[in-house]
Amino acid sequence: MTTVMIQEARARVTVGIFAHMPDAAATAPLSGESADGALAFLTEMSPDLRGAAILGAEGEVLAATGDEPGRWGEDAAALFAVADGAEGAPVEQVHIATEQGEVFAVRNAGLAAVAVTDRFALASLMLFDMRSALRRLASPNFGGSEPPKSRKGGD
Amino acid sequence: MPPKPHRVLLDRVSVYADEAAAFMRRRRVSRRPFARLYYPHGRSADHAQDSRSGAELFVAAGRLIEVAGKKEKG
Repeated sequence: MTTVMIQEARARVTVGIFAHMPDAAATAPLSGESADGALAFLTEMSPDLRGAAILGAEGEVLAATGDEPGRWGEDAAALFAVADGAEGAPVEQVHIATEQGEVFAVRNAGLAAVAVTDRFALASLMLFDMRSALRRLASPNFGGSEPPKSRKGGD
Repeated sequence: MPPKPHRVLLDRVSVYADEAAAFMRRRRVSRRPFARLYYPHGRSADHAQDSRSGAELFVAAGRLIEVAGKKEKG
């Protein structure tokens, strides 16, 4: 009897918790400083990187290299729209290799990152670094001052 | 007289380095443009450049490459 009551209470309370619990990754306000930190990490880790941008949950540009953050937002949104429409399902990662360079796009933890590299960049490392940067950025403890862990062996 | 142990090790490392260099050379020569999409649970799909979705993906990627510009050397 007691067990049944506890189960009922737990089910009721749990539903309440999930109904009112915001998705931290998607709704927590991210400072431009922390996004800049994540972008600096990506730039440091990838010698082949030409440019990159980090986008928020609504597609807004949190940080970008170069002078045209608005264009990064528009073109990244266009890329994700085309990629999602290709098979009618949201993509997790995109890798497009062209003669002019390579494009990587990753969605993780309610955020997105887009990067352009030289040809023949190591895709697995690039995607790993992008995922790692986004995961770190979305974690509540990340305040921009603590850079993501390096994958370099020396430090 | 058998070769010194470090010579054996050096030779082996050189062979591996040569193999890796040859692999990278072949990769550079033979690699064609591609568009690959990854979905949750590890599924992935290639889209040919001459397909409709592939062509759109390449156009979108081209715009991003244009925004990124050329890499500054140095």
